[in-house]
Amino acid sequence: MAERWDEARRLLRQHGVTYNIYGDPQGMERPWPLDMIPLLVPAEEWSGLEAALTQRSRLLNAVLADVYGPQELLRAGLLPAGVLHADPGFRRPLHGAAVPEGLFLHFHGVDLARGPDGRWRVFSDRTQAPSGAGYALENRVVVSRVLPDSFRHCRAERLVPFFNVFRRTLFDLAPLAPDQPRVVLLTPGPYNETYFEHAYLARQLGVAMVEGGDLTIRDRRVYLKTLGGLEPVDVILRRQDDDFCDPLELRHDSALGVAGLVQAVKAGTVAVANALGSGILESPAYQAYLPAVARHLLGEALKLPGLDTWWCGDAAALAHVLANLDRVVIRPAFAALGRDPVDGATLDGGARAAWIERLKRQPWNWVAQERLAPSTAPAWQENRLSPRPLVWRVFLAASRGGYVAMPGGLTRFADQPGRPDISMQKGSGSKDTWVLSPRCLEGRTLIRSTAGETVTGRRTGEPRAVSSDLPSRVADGLFWLGRYGERSEMGLRLLRGAFTRLTDGTTPGAMEELGPILRLMAWIGMIPLDFTHDGDTGASAGRALRLALQAAAFDPDHPNGLRANVLRLHRVAHGVRDRLSLDLWRVISQIDRQSAAPRARPDDAATLERLDDLIVSLAALAGLEQESIVRGPGWRFLDIGRRLERAVNTIGSMRRLRVADADDRDDAALSATLEVLLELGESFMTYRGRYLTTVQRVPVLELLLTDESNPRAVAFQLSSLAGHLAALPLPPAGGGESPTSTALHLIGSARALLRRPDAVRHGPALRQTLDTLADTLPETSNLLAHAYFSHAFVRSA
Amino acid sequence: MRYRARHTTRYDYGDTTPVSHHLVHLTPRPHPRQRCGANRITLTPAPATRSDSVDFFGNPVTYVAVEEPHRWVEIHAETDIEVAPPLPLDPAATPPWQEVREAARRPGPEVPQFLFDSIFVKTSIELTAFAEPSFPANRPVAESALDLMSRIHRDFTFDPTATTIATPLAEVLTTRRGVCQDFAHLMIGALRGLGLPARYVSGYLRTLPPPGQPRLVGADVSHAWMSVWCGGNVWLDLCPTNDKPADADYITLAWGRDYDDVSPVRGVFLGSGAQALSVQVDVEVIE
Repeated sequence: MAERWDEARRLLRQHGVTYNIYGDPQGMERPWPLDMIPLLVPAEEWSGLEAALTQRSRLLNAVLADVYGPQELLRAGLLPAGVLHADPGFRRPLHGAAVPEGLFLHFHGVDLARGPDGRWRVFSDRTQAPSGAGYALENRVVVSRVLPDSFRHCRAERLVPFFNVFRRTLFDLAPLAPDQPRVVLLTPGPYNETYFEHAYLARQLGVAMVEGGDLTIRDRRVYLKTLGGLEPVDVILRRQDDDFCDPLELRHDSALGVAGLVQAVKAGTVAVANALGSGILESPAYQAYLPAVARHLLGEALKLPGLDTWWCGDAAALAHVLANLDRVVIRPAFAALGRDPVDGATLDGGARAAWIERLKRQPWNWVAQERLAPSTAPAWQENRLSPRPLVWRVFLAASRGGYVAMPGGLTRFADQPGRPDISMQKGSGSKDTWVLSPRCLEGRTLIRSTAGETVTGRRTGEPRAVSSDLPSRVADGLFWLGRYGERSEMGLRLLRGAFTRLTDGTTPGAMEELGPILRLMAWIGMIPLDFTHDGDTGASAGRALRLALQAAAFDPDHPNGLRANVLRLHRVAHGVRDRLSLDLWRVISQIDRQSAAPRARPDDAATLERLDDLIVSLAALAGLEQESIVRGPGWRFLDIGRRLERAVNTIGSMRRLRVADADDRDDAALSATLEVLLELGESFMTYRGRYLTTVQRVPVLELLLTDESNPRAVAFQLSSLAGHLAALPLPPAGGGESPTSTALHLIGSARALLRRPDAVRHGPALRQTLDTLADTLPETSNLLAHAYFSHAFVRSA
Repeated sequence: MRYRARHTTRYDYGDTTPVSHHLVHLTPRPHPRQRCGANRITLTPAPATRSDSVDFFGNPVTYVAVEEPHRWVEIHAETDIEVAPPLPLDPAATPPWQEVREAARRPGPEVPQFLFDSIFVKTSIELTAFAEPSFPANRPVAESALDLMSRIHRDFTFDPTATTIATPLAEVLTTRRGVCQDFAHLMIGALRGLGLPARYVSGYLRTLPPPGQPRLVGADVSHAWMSVWCGGNVWLDLCPTNDKPADADYITLAWGRDYDDVSPVRGVFLGSGAQALSVQVDVEVIE
């Protein structure tokens, strides 16, 4: 058991399944907590639930259609006006807007808990942008790999058909019904708690993942800003709350979102799933009225009971709550109030009086619900089984034939046996959920690939290409991924060079070579300038140097240190994660782990070992950049970033080490400098193999500067850059020479300088070349930024 | 009284913006005492998109977008309108305020929506305590509201430098300074805290007063006041800035829960420049 559990954790880490915790800077990317014992739901129990749940989705959709339309429920007194009007989440600008197919609720999450009587009851509804379906799928992938025999034995229903249905629904929603609808998943970005899932779902559904800044409105229609210009968007699957969807009409103190989106919705040119404003039904207040509303709107009895609920805005309900305070849990009526539930029984004297006052002052802001201790299921905790209360989130998707429930879902359990509130934010665990199939699945392959279940495009199994649009933001992210990858490598090679010399100072030339390495480190701000002065090599200076180098390697707060660059690398990679292969992401996670500060200060040898491991991982990153990314504009930006950074670093190092200056140095110092340059340029073996001689200036500089066949030479970088620039789509800017052409022109001139016969032989000419390149390369970077990612961001007036 | 109102709003963006979006509440809403003549809203540069509709509160609203590179936008509205004086209302004959409070809780979507907190109007214990001296038991609601209006006018100083639209009510209550929006929000919050429906009214004042009368505060900018529900179909418009019920000098453009629902011009532009805003209003009596 324990072994399988370890295997599951390893798989989760490899798949990069993580969860971000708000307000915890160290907690970005917390590993996803998965318990390996699934929750089992028998087929007969499921079929009853399925009918009840689809009824609930139909009902909630009808409620949304009413409150955003005729508001009969309010007029008939079936829903108190305050439930709607006191809710900051009621979006008045959307009132009266027609939605495609009359669908407001496309994707619905229902949290279920089992009471002491064993019956499932509704705890709450998720109607805005329900999260967890992607995690449920990933849980299935991992658990079915760890427990394949029991999985086959138990015949769990597959989850994939559900995602295929939902995908179909999304594509069918396109209001203007083009041949190739463009569907995008709108994410708030990498800092959102469920960003992993956004990337995962976008990939599974085969849609592009975009942020608000990637979209713009023209003529009341939504467009995606791509490198090649604006492309129309037909359907938005949003994981962004209403508040941040349109600064013009939904919340104008926010700079996030897409200004004018509400107008596009009202013009009927785009479908948003779930509809803007659908979050109001997450208020627990509705639970008190749903039975009567179901009879009125559907002519049916509500099949699945919720918790007994009192909305305090109703005078009789408030009186009941005040008289029974110790028997209820008080919850905020509206999500916007952002308060945790309070168990009335835990309130004593002063707190109780304060709550009574609060309830009386603004009663409409509060809901009381019966206290229900969710029943437990066994979870594998600390190497033994332990009973934990659990909540099961079931997902439903709209389809042509009505709502469809996912046979499974996300089960979460409390991290302590007696704790009633269950939330990933507070450190609960999760389980896979198996709905047992009545059909015989023996002999069928349930797992199709290493990624387990995979969503395919159509029922025929024909795969569909993921959208190839490249949002400008993604191009920007890939560009910086390239730059930070190379920058980390540069810092790492310097650190390794320094630690190598410190560990084995007896190797000939070691101490002479330490000087240039330290000068370069000081130049890029990794260590203080003090260490570059020769002379003091005493024991205390050695200790201080080691401390400074350790900080440059592992201190996350050192702005120019290796760790800081790796964190930047990780962050930009996070932002373009849906564009990276799983293996590439694994390597990035590995680099992140390997560069984390060690618990105890390691000795030089141990540090060196870590640095060597990191070099290999960074090399793997560079390799996968070449081998695992399709040669589209995205890859070009990634490679432009790496090439530019490498050229900048090489030029900078040569200038800093004054290779062009007339020799006032002795032979030993010069050859130490050249050795260091060869080492940083990973060209030592090439040099030895080619020249079979001691290091001399001209051949070394030829190898590192002008040799277009050496992937470490500046000339090679420039040649690659020229190729990329020529192949990029022209930016949508108008008028005059495009910045891309200007950049291409600059790179062309730089290459001409390097091709001059005396480029490296003649000191002044060399110095001029280096100086020119030191200006040209940053300028090229600026031009590209201006042309492709000048991130016009929204300001509200 | 017949008027011609001219309202010009200019945004200077400081840099070129590829697109700007604007939501405009500059067409007078349907109103029992107003008859609207010609109303023209124009934008320079000419907008690529324009769409007219009616918002949730029944106010006409215009969406416009400029979709070519531009550095500034000027929005101009010209409105001909006739305003009749309000019917005489005997404050002493209005129902006691507690009765109105009870009536406001009855089902139906129209009146109760003006009972609850909104973005710019947050009720508070302090605000309610401020209102209470005007609301002894069983006092007629209009009498109480008029008294509250006069107290705001007396206790607060009109000071355009004291607040911005983002200044919270709690601060206005402490510093006792502000402009017409602040006083309207303050009075709305005080009434809602007591359980009385109150709404925000956006509009204009005539620029030049009738001969022999003082020029009113807020006459050359867009103005704001508030309206309190007195039961049935009766809403009483009160202007705490000038301590008077709104009469034929007041032109109503729109009403909502607060400024956020009905701000005359709201804009969002794409770009990083700083922006400057200038507004000019001129309301001329014609006849």
